[in-house]
Amino acid sequence: MKTSSRDQGNVRIVAVEGDVDLSSSGDLRKFLFEALRGVRRLVINLGGIHYLDSSGIATLIEVLKESQKTKTEFALFAMSPAVHEVFRLTHVIKIFQVYETEEQAVGGAGA
Amino acid sequence: MHSSESRSRSGVRFKAEWRLPSDPIFLSVVRAAMERLCAALGWNESEARSITLAVDEALTNVIRHAYHKRADGVIELVCEEKEGVLEFLVSDTGDAPDLSKICARAKESQAAGGMGTHIIRDVMDTADYQRTGMANRLVMTKRLRPSVEGK
Repeated sequence: MKTSSRDQGNVRIVAVEGDVDLSSSGDLRKFLFEALRGVRRLVINLGGIHYLDSSGIATLIEVLKESQKTKTEFALFAMSPAVHEVFRLTHVIKIFQVYETEEQAVGGAGA
Repeated sequence: MHSSESRSRSGVRFKAEWRLPSDPIFLSVVRAAMERLCAALGWNESEARSITLAVDEALTNVIRHAYHKRADGVIELVCEEKEGVLEFLVSDTGDAPDLSKICARAKESQAAGGMGTHIIRDVMDTADYQRTGMANRLVMTKRLRPSVEGK
């Protein structure tokens, strides 16, 4: 798994690539908790994820809850059909703001 | 070809056995094999992904709950084509699962844990947890798709 981030104004855009499973979800959690700091909005590009399991979903739920505590907006975008299927199987898609494109996710329009 | 017969043209039914350390770095190895096996047995891409995810969740649960993330445990996985189904047997000698926690999470819950057993139940046709002596066994089955020839 690889992670990277860049800031656009007070929005942080994080890209996650590769496999997110038990061997990598702890690292992702740490990275995303750090990424929540000092910005108004954190958006995650899921388009590079090849595989996601329930430990990855659990990590995203934990980050969502932390974002609510710190009053940081949190959104996901570019979900592939394979990743969307895991969200469907875990019944948690409704709790996230999900967008198709980075532009939509950064702007937060039409959530 | 009848659906209870082998998917392969040889008539020989598929069986594979893995013996893995309880180290999550090996999960991707099993996933790669599982996706290709499911494709070879006639499931489509989406079905193959779901079956692979369910097997991966079963192995992950063993690593997390039976071996408490220790990497020196042993997990055995047997995939065997039987009468009309592909059977997955996952066994370990770690701590016994708490059966009261299996699928205990409300499906619409926002809790961060307990999703793996729901995935297994939703994807597989059967999932049976057993404790025999010091060994845990999870037997899952998935009905094989009728072959193109049988339609």
